Amino acid sequence: MIRFISLVVLFAAGLAVAFAPLPAPSIAPQARTLRIDARQFAYSPSELKVNLGDTVTVQLVSTDVVHGLYVDGYDVSVEADPGQTATLTFVADRSGSFRFRCNVTCGAMHPFMIGKITVEKNDLLFRSVGLATLAVIGVFPLSSLLVERKDRALAK
Amino acid sequence: MKRSELVSRILITVAVIGAVGAPLFFWSQSSLMHARVAESGGWNPNIIRADVGAPLHLRLTSDDVVHGFAVGQMNMDGVDVLPGKVTDLTLTFDKPGTYTFYCTRWCGLNHWRMRGTIEVGGSNTDAEPAPAPLYVSLGLDIDAPHEAPAIPSQMPSAFRGESLIRGLAISQFINSDFYRVHSPYETFENLDQYPLGESQRWDVVAYIWQSNTTLESLANGKKLYAQNCAACHGENGAGNGVFADDLLPSPNSGGGGDEVRSMIQTPANFTDPKRILGASPALLQGKILRGGMGTGMPMWGSIFTEGQIWDLIAFIYSFQFEYQN
Repeated sequence: MIRFISLVVLFAAGLAVAFAPLPAPSIAPQARTLRIDARQFAYSPSELKVNLGDTVTVQLVSTDVVHGLYVDGYDVSVEADPGQTATLTFVADRSGSFRFRCNVTCGAMHPFMIGKITVEKNDLLFRSVGLATLAVIGVFPLSSLLVERKDRALAK
Repeated sequence: MKRSELVSRILITVAVIGAVGAPLFFWSQSSLMHARVAESGGWNPNIIRADVGAPLHLRLTSDDVVHGFAVGQMNMDGVDVLPGKVTDLTLTFDKPGTYTFYCTRWCGLNHWRMRGTIEVGGSNTDAEPAPAPLYVSLGLDIDAPHEAPAIPSQMPSAFRGESLIRGLAISQFINSDFYRVHSPYETFENLDQYPLGESQRWDVVAYIWQSNTTLESLANGKKLYAQNCAACHGENGAGNGVFADDLLPSPNSGGGGDEVRSMIQTPANFTDPKRILGASPALLQGKILRGGMGTGMPMWGSIFTEGQIWDLIAFIYSFQFEYQN
């Protein structure tokens, strides 16, 4: 019976770790400055990762023709000529993955000039660490429960 | 075939040909100008004729990337020429002559080669010839080396210079006739008649250079620099703009080996004191007017007005001097 209760408790703890809403952002928002080089027809870097609440400043440096950068979901954009670095500042207050794309026609492959910005609290990492710890703890009562059942079955 | 049937057949044929032909005819007659990057042909047409006083209507569109259009020597802001859109523009010329129009948005390494001419004819063709630029009347060789033999140990400050000139008679240095034909180093040499140390003399030079320009000139020069120069000379003047490396032939493109690469001049570094403190405004004006022979430096004489070039020169010196804001 105690083993069964401990199993339920373990399962509940697992659910809590995986899905319980966090009271506050685990990481204090900070100001980030990211430099993105734009050329036909790619951004470098093309994948950005920021935390929720960060103040993101993008420095867009164009190295061939006029390029732009428009962030889907945030509806903010900037346009940079070669030799004129343009900056775009916005607060990443919506979590998720967003596409950013060139919004200045820059040539034949212009529609394919895209990148991705991921805005998230980094709690996925902490939740997985918590679950892994629970799993390690859980291995012992669970295995002993199974061993006990096996013993009982053998006794019959 | 009845007569009425024949008439109606002819009418239908004419209507069909007209429906297809009329738009084609007007399309070919319209003055739609196409912009393409220089490698694909640049402006089409690239020679336009106009008359003095008569408005010139232009319809511009782009076939590839974002371009801009402006006419040189007119101090006009460029209009954007966008792919898939038509920009309407009306120009009126007061004086006859040959005007240069050019692309105003950087559209690649050869952006500056995207130029064309507007030939403005008129009844009063007695256009006065342009006065010779200063470097010509001075007989300056603008390709000769002009390194300053000595450079300051710290960045000269106009603020410190201002506190040093009290009691000194330096008014002869603060006029454009002196400023335009002397390099900062020559001015530094000229100041040895005053009881000042070396770094103090450099500070006074900074003050003299600041006094020969205005805040508006510097701001205008900064704007022109960002739009026209920074792509090669770098936003901070260090000669390391985004196109600086592209001006050299790549080693594996068959464009020449190291020998050729070493012969090609890279964009001038305006933060190099030897180079800038040894150059007079007249020399820099010559370089900007004519451009660099055999280098990627464009010829700006047909594009900038004289005032714009002086503003640009005042801004270039600000990479060497600390000015008061």
